[in-house]
Amino acid sequence: MAIKIFFPSACSAAENGLLIGRWMAQHKSAVVLATLHFPFIPGNVRSYLSQMERKTGLSLSVIGTWSHSKKDKDEKMDNFLGELGSIFSHQPWLRMARESSSKFWDCKVERMEGEESEDVVLVYYDQRKLMLSELHSASEYSEIAAVFDTVAKHQPLFAKDKYDEGPVNLTHWQSDGVEASIIVELCKQASVPLCAVISFFVSLITSICNLRVLSGKPLSFLWSKMSTCEQLGRRLENLRLISSSEKAQDHTTFMRKANTFLSLFLDVTLGILLMSWLYQGNHIGQLADALIPVADRIALELQELLQWLMGAPAGLKMNRALDEVLGRFFMYHIHLWISYIRLMSPFIEVILWYIGLSACLGLTVALSILSDIIALLTFHIYCFYVYGARLYCFKMHGLSSLWRLFRGKKWNVLRQRVDSCSYDLDQLFLGTLLFTILLFLLPTTALYYLVFTLLRLLVIMVQGVIQMTINLLSSLPFFALLQRLCRSYRLAAGVKFRMLEQQQGKPLRLLMQINPLPYGQVLDTYRLPSSRCYPKDSWGSLCKKLFIGEVIYPWKQKEEKQD
Amino acid sequence: MEGKVYSDIHGEEIRLQQHSYSDTCQEFTVIRPKISFRSLTGCTCAVWLAAYGVFYYTQHSAVLSAAILCTILGLLLYLHLVKIDQESLLLLGSLGLQKSLTFASGRESTVFLEMCRVQDVIINEAISMSRVHYNLCILLRDPADPQGPSQVIPVFQGSQPRLECLVEIYRSCQEILSKRSQ
Amino acid sequence: MVYDQKVGCTRRSHNDSSKTTEATYCPVGQAHVICMVSDFFYPNMGGVESHIYQLSQCLIGRGHKVIIVTHAYEDRKGIRYLTNGLKVYYLPLTVMYNQSTATTLLHSLPLLRNIFVRERVNIVHSHSSFSAMAHDALFHAKTMGLHTVFTDHSLFGFADVSSVLTNKLLTVSLCDTNHIICVSYTSKENTVLRAALNPEIVSVIPNAVDPTDFTPDPQKIRTNKITVVVVSRLVYRKGIDLLGGIIPEMCHRYPDLHFLVGGEGPKRIILEEVRERYQLHDRVRLLGALEHRQVRNVLVEGDIFLNTSLTEAFCMAIVEAASCGLQVVSTRVGGIPEVLPEDFIILCEPSVKSLCDGLEKAIDQLKSGNLPSPEAIHNTVQSFYTWKNVAERTEKVYDRVSNETVLPMNERLERLISHCGVVTGSIFALFVVATFLFLMFLRWNTPDSLIDIAVDATGPKGAWSHKYSCKKSRKTMANAKSGSSLK
Repeated sequence: MAIKIFFPSACSAAENGLLIGRWMAQHKSAVVLATLHFPFIPGNVRSYLSQMERKTGLSLSVIGTWSHSKKDKDEKMDNFLGELGSIFSHQPWLRMARESSSKFWDCKVERMEGEESEDVVLVYYDQRKLMLSELHSASEYSEIAAVFDTVAKHQPLFAKDKYDEGPVNLTHWQSDGVEASIIVELCKQASVPLCAVISFFVSLITSICNLRVLSGKPLSFLWSKMSTCEQLGRRLENLRLISSSEKAQDHTTFMRKANTFLSLFLDVTLGILLMSWLYQGNHIGQLADALIPVADRIALELQELLQWLMGAPAGLKMNRALDEVLGRFFMYHIHLWISYIRLMSPFIEVILWYIGLSACLGLTVALSILSDIIALLTFHIYCFYVYGARLYCFKMHGLSSLWRLFRGKKWNVLRQRVDSCSYDLDQLFLGTLLFTILLFLLPTTALYYLVFTLLRLLVIMVQGVIQMTINLLSSLPFFALLQRLCRSYRLAAGVKFRMLEQQQGKPLRLLMQINPLPYGQVLDTYRLPSSRCYPKDSWGSLCKKLFIGEVIYPWKQKEEKQD
Repeated sequence: MEGKVYSDIHGEEIRLQQHSYSDTCQEFTVIRPKISFRSLTGCTCAVWLAAYGVFYYTQHSAVLSAAILCTILGLLLYLHLVKIDQESLLLLGSLGLQKSLTFASGRESTVFLEMCRVQDVIINEAISMSRVHYNLCILLRDPADPQGPSQVIPVFQGSQPRLECLVEIYRSCQEILSKRSQ
Repeated sequence: MVYDQKVGCTRRSHNDSSKTTEATYCPVGQAHVICMVSDFFYPNMGGVESHIYQLSQCLIGRGHKVIIVTHAYEDRKGIRYLTNGLKVYYLPLTVMYNQSTATTLLHSLPLLRNIFVRERVNIVHSHSSFSAMAHDALFHAKTMGLHTVFTDHSLFGFADVSSVLTNKLLTVSLCDTNHIICVSYTSKENTVLRAALNPEIVSVIPNAVDPTDFTPDPQKIRTNKITVVVVSRLVYRKGIDLLGGIIPEMCHRYPDLHFLVGGEGPKRIILEEVRERYQLHDRVRLLGALEHRQVRNVLVEGDIFLNTSLTEAFCMAIVEAASCGLQVVSTRVGGIPEVLPEDFIILCEPSVKSLCDGLEKAIDQLKSGNLPSPEAIHNTVQSFYTWKNVAERTEKVYDRVSNETVLPMNERLERLISHCGVVTGSIFALFVVATFLFLMFLRWNTPDSLIDIAVDATGPKGAWSHKYSCKKSRKTMANAKSGSSLK
């Protein structure tokens, strides 16, 4: 197998010297990290290298010599470099040489055991990009992952360059001076007290919420039903995550923090924009004025619907008596509801004004409040649906059980199967009678059930759309997407190689570039955890439940998605 | 252009170019025919005639501008997302296999598979809804799990050459892969 | 009688099939390329499936090339290779009901045509009238001008609506098929009447059983306990209602009689209810669904095998039971009287009383020790039905068929309209024309020259057995053998 040398493109123009790097025996490849120049004292070099090894935990040594001749071949330099091999003994020993005028280099590998005629593959890489990049398809046997790891962990090495006074004189990508950004440093300094303040507030709010009074049974039930509280709780968690004082240990935590921060920031900005729009043009007042007529309108429409059902809806013939009973029952509820709305009407504007203030906490909070308001305003539809569903369910169960009786079978609860059973004559008679009654009353009940289920489904769909928007805003990894757009080398799916010009007899030359992560995978990997409020039933089981009459709770909160 | 001429499973002409950089490094490029002027003109004329017909009845000039916009957008999307210029498979004996796809707009899509993950290269028969054809596949394995191939990655999906072309590529792949264990 | 009473050479087990194929490799006449088509194949287990598999293996041994086309079973999609390089195509066609594909008679044409061209098939052999894909393949093969053979494995009624319709469809499908094979004389009568066929193009070739799979248990201890074994699918056709009546009756008469029932189905509830009602939990054992390899172990536990089918073309189960050394009691329906000689089987009418009498007779014979030993029964039965024999006879059918001409389009349309009635005939003639036009379109779109010819992997001379010099080729072969398709 050929020996692969990963050589930084920044060192191509370096002066003569030694090659510092890491040799990976299981992959038969060498990663060159820097070149060391004359003058040096071997003892100092060794101590510096062992100090680096202790800091990074990876092996680091002098792995060969580097010769860059400007004009003709320098015999003395060659001999000198050859003797260095005996001072820094390393197996195998690399000898790389180039001439300024040519782009094809000479690489020789010397081993003690002989075996000199090994092929060499030269791979150029960009040190800075590799150091900053995060590889997403790592596995412990992977050679590329080892190369990335080597370059990334040797960051302390890159702090030293050729302008530093000291025993060792290195050339690498940062040779022209350590780069740093003033703004980033300032932000880092300023964030420490800010984080402390935020975490104090967060802990205060959490302790208030955990008070016994507020976590009592009726109140906690109410909190769990309202999506606003859930959203606020989530945002509180996010704040706690951002304001934690410890530095992010690994890339995933860092990305999560950054994504959370950016998502929160965007949310609050959009919320403040919304708030300014609401309060500027007296939109609150307009909204309040429009709300009561809308609620009234809905109630009136429902009343008309019930009148229609009590007549002969769509030409269907209903059972007069049952029809009237059900119709009157539901009408009474609507009447109650209308009076309730009338009672509330003078206070609506004030309530809305204060609720509108909460938009400054974020657009998602505002949307969840909207969702809750819709739920409250359509509470009567929910009630009707539950009544209709229970009645229909009871009827269906009765029908199926009596149908079994009709055929001479019964449900064996012990064995959980349908068994044959011999019934007495009076049992059969009564059963058939009841069966007939229930069967003929079925169309009426079914129609009421159908109508109210459709209304309920409509409301659920509207709430669902709002919930999906909230989820999207909370879970989209904005920071990761921005990074992929602007600094695509930071998120690497892998590498790609490009063949450079080759010359016969010289080692194979390749350029290794970073293959950025596709957008879809960025979303998948860095999606923030959000409570999945999607219906947990599949379409098939949903239809089955609707047919039987089981009450559906599509927004049962699932467990938080574990990352 | 040099390279042998073969045909793909739809009957179109493709070219196979083989570069041998060294004993263990080879590159196979399959070049597809360029977009044909006739079909482009035909499509554009058809769309514009239809748009003109609609314009004649409705007298809305927006129809015409919409047709022009559609044609341009359609062409751009087609060149950027659909029309494949060439596909290549680069075998680096000690590093791995790299397959890349170049579209007519210049966009490149590359995947590199490391040698420790590559188990073998095979010619596989694939069944689709209307035909059974041969394709070249790379078998990947999980290095930790010696059990067998964990994934199958087809190569040359865009050009779909016929069996004789695939056999050429397959032979060279096998030669290089057999050397890696030595 | 259907069975062959001459003592022929038995087929050895699959383990040394490679040696067997070398020994019996005798190309008689020309080598055909046969495509077996059916909806029912491995991993589904059953009579039709094992028939197709065993027949294909024997034909490969005789030097022909055989491929099998069936539909995809859940995960199992694409091309798989079985023993001896038998290539199986699992096609992605939707399954409608009971492992039978949904058919529109047109949508499978491109794929089937592609397969027939690339494998250079010249005979298409379809199995089982319940399989829609089989009829599809016959239809398309005739349009493409290939020879066709059909094997029917079941009996049908004539009276009810579903039977009338199915018989009509069968008539249409078989009116221009080159040759039909039935598994017993009764089945031949039934098929000829159902589909209004010319009896000369119908042959009778029975099924066979692998005698090494079904051997009696030499270490069986004889006790007073008598066990009656029933192994079948628990459905109406198999007369499980009769069994529900026999069990309490016989258990009442004979206190040491035990029943062992293997198999699963919707009628299981009847047996469970009978067991509960008469408190027979210790004497009636219900084993549930049995895998094919477990069947022999269940059979050797019994002394008598009971078959209560209401209709059967050729019951392989009783031959398997006889091969295991059991005495057989069965209903006299369909092709069952032709299967075994009189001393190995007791035939009864399909009623509870008659079956009880038959069982009594068997129990008395067993108690008095008049029966031959299980080993003796096995030795006689194993020579009756062998796969080698079946393959020889099928090969003769292929030789005869390949010398015939396939009907050209005009004669085919004429035959359809005249033979199948005006209405049905015209409808299907329309389909024939539509298929023909579709085929023309496909031939224009993807000419035959554009389809790569498949690499031949069947038999001892197949591509996978070529010895390459270095180990890389063995790796290649192993990988290609296990390669499955992606789409």
